[in-house]
Amino acid sequence: MLTQFKVFWPSLAIGSCMLATMAIAAATPAASPSLQIAQIKTVSGKVKVERGTAQTSPKPGDPLFEKDTVVTGADGSVGITFVDNTVMSAGPNSEIALEQFKFDSNNFNGSMLTELRKGTLAVVSGDIARSSPGAMKVRTPAATLGVRGTRFVAEATGDP
Amino acid sequence: MITLRGATLLLVLGVLAGCAQREQGLFVVLPNPDGTSGAITVSEGQDSVLLDHPYAAEEVEGDHLEETTSNSAQVQQVFGSALAAQPILPAHFRLYFLKDRDLMTTESQQQYRNVFADIKRRPVYQVEVIGYTDTLGEQSHNQQLSLRRAATLRDELVRDGLNPDSIIIAGRGELDPAVPTGPQVAEPRNRRVEITVR
Repeated sequence: MLTQFKVFWPSLAIGSCMLATMAIAAATPAASPSLQIAQIKTVSGKVKVERGTAQTSPKPGDPLFEKDTVVTGADGSVGITFVDNTVMSAGPNSEIALEQFKFDSNNFNGSMLTELRKGTLAVVSGDIARSSPGAMKVRTPAATLGVRGTRFVAEATGDP
Repeated sequence: MITLRGATLLLVLGVLAGCAQREQGLFVVLPNPDGTSGAITVSEGQDSVLLDHPYAAEEVEGDHLEETTSNSAQVQQVFGSALAAQPILPAHFRLYFLKDRDLMTTESQQQYRNVFADIKRRPVYQVEVIGYTDTLGEQSHNQQLSLRRAATLRDELVRDGLNPDSIIIAGRGELDPAVPTGPQVAEPRNRRVEITVR
């Protein structure tokens, strides 16, 4: 079914029906720190989510919000899926900050900035990177990545 | 004077220590299942490099960029844990409906089992169901019909045991056809719901 992917998702972007727009806008979180931008899918070992001053141990199904930071311990790994269908997973001793995420499910326009402060990250990009090349960025201490619809991995070490 | 030299020495040692700890990065483009790949740009200061083929890689140390080629063994060694934690990737489905009805075609009723199975294999899931129509009939009627089609599918998924809170539905009427047509055209391929499972 993944072969249909490129064919039928752009068609979704063409529509301009107000009712549908409102229904989708109400149903799909878009651009507020209080709205869910991703869901925790896999958790292994020690994993923490830092939200403001609070720190929690997440489990699969838990929501993530803009500005959350996900931290894994020496034995930890975590996998998350964003509402634009971007998929990210991190290995041990990693720190990933969800700095910025904006997404409009009607036209797939959006932008996201994820910060890999340290550790390892595997990414399969989603609707944001496909609809606007360069709108998805991953920042690391050593370099900043612009993503044009692809799978990739990033490692950051020697963090100050 | 001695104090000044001492301070200079400390400063030099400090800079050296900083160099030893300077930021490093490794970035690798991975192949899609079909062997193709997209691209990433790696930027550091004024330098920017495009990596646009499978296993194209960039090693960064401080402000030094070096283009290399990685391979599956290195990727597995460095990123094995991260890749093992990767969630099941999102999937997309399309199911078709009978003319002016919120009843699926016989073929799509069978295909529904695949959709359900795909959702069930995920430990946690979110499902989006969006309904559409062809251009026969009134726009307002089609708007309602498209939403009914999405609701029908949601109800069936819930009846089969899925969590209603994890399913969102919407109707987009006739304005977003899979196959563009003129007004008042019967087009079976436009009588559909599109489902995203993640």
